[in-house]
Amino acid sequence: MLAEIPTMAIDLVQIEDNSTVLADEFIAHRLGMLPLNAEGVENLFYSRDCDCDEYCDRCSVILSLHAKCTGDENMHVSARDLVPSGERISQTLGNPIISDPDGLGPLILKLRPGQEIKLKCIAKKGIAKEHAKWAPSAAIGFEYDPHNKLHHLDLWYEQDAKKEWPPSEYADWEEPPQEGEPFDYDAVPNRFYFNVETAGALPPDAIITEGIKVLQIKLAQMVKDLSEGDGDGNGAYDGPRSPEFGGGGADGWGGGQDPGFTTPYGNGGNQSAWGGAGAGGGTTPYGTTPYGGAGGSSW
Amino acid sequence: MNAPDRFELFLLQDGEKKITEKIFTGLSNTSDFILLKEDHTLGNLIAEHLKQAPHVLLAAYKIAHPNVPEVMIRVQTDGTITPRDALRQTCQTLVQMYFALGREFQKEFALRQFADQGDQGGAGNAGGQGGPY
Ligand SMILES: [Zn+2]
Repeated sequence: MLAEIPTMAIDLVQIEDNSTVLADEFIAHRLGMLPLNAEGVENLFYSRDCDCDEYCDRCSVILSLHAKCTGDENMHVSARDLVPSGERISQTLGNPIISDPDGLGPLILKLRPGQEIKLKCIAKKGIAKEHAKWAPSAAIGFEYDPHNKLHHLDLWYEQDAKKEWPPSEYADWEEPPQEGEPFDYDAVPNRFYFNVETAGALPPDAIITEGIKVLQIKLAQMVKDLSEGDGDGNGAYDGPRSPEFGGGGADGWGGGQDPGFTTPYGNGGNQSAWGGAGAGGGTTPYGTTPYGGAGGSSW
Repeated sequence: MNAPDRFELFLLQDGEKKITEKIFTGLSNTSDFILLKEDHTLGNLIAEHLKQAPHVLLAAYKIAHPNVPEVMIRVQTDGTITPRDALRQTCQTLVQMYFALGREFQKEFALRQFADQGDQGGAGNAGGQGGPY
């Protein structure tokens, strides 16, 4: 679930001046990767749910960058040089995460003498299913049964598996198997070890709590859908197909042999091929989308 | 171009329903549920917990194509309750379990932080060094 926790990331970049050696797109991509503070992101709208045309203070945070190298030596431009502006929901939301001892933050680019960069970034709320830059964590470790008591692992070895496989750091947390202990066929894993490393946007404990919250919302929504939709007509479902399969017929997939369905992508319109043509039942307690949405966004 | 919209993976489009029930006629008391815009996270979780639920004889899920964000869950019950009710009850139980898990986690984490602060004479926190937290 750590792919669906909303965070902040730069999503649009308006470049006014760029005389650096790096192309505009290249810089924009680098800016997108910067971790931004996501505390209080639940108070921000998703841009797609907002009333504004492109972005506004209620669905985005503006960060501007203007740097010119006036000295004789190359100049480093880092995340610290991004200046938040506009009316903000909180003074921290959307600030670049700076955790290095020098207080500079990630390096964005370097300027040779005389070069200049001037741009405006629009940071938006999103989830990592849309783009990995919104992932709150860099790595999640997961482990169970450090002594392999359940025999879910078959350890490869040359002479002795015990010698060649160092014990896991969680091995001390559980009783090692006794010599000659009979195998317990009914045992199931019931202790799980997670190692959560944050990218900086949220503290690790908040990532866990938010992940739980996201799952709860999903499940609660399902309970609601299952309760209200009793007895309404169900669209025919023919199973999903690969988006490339059949399709336009002009590609090399066997041509027009397979009429009768549209691909989920392309073909204009919102008409997806997948069942679910049943109307109604679309309003959720969280607005039109299951995420955030109009109205109270306090989950 | 034919690039799909980035949000098509997780947002229901106009007219799409989150859950569709389709009665499976090959087995008694069996229904297939089609969840749109979901992935293994929910499919695996629900199927595994349905297997432990009372009155459920069969529970399984599949994602027919990795590019297509759709989960199918098949549930067979012993007839005491409908598959729809079995699924609903499982989801309700899961919400409560997550509630308990979240509460326990916050409690334990606060205790841990408190203990760590005691160890280090009040400096630093449980998270790590230097960061904003
Ligand atoms: Zn807006």
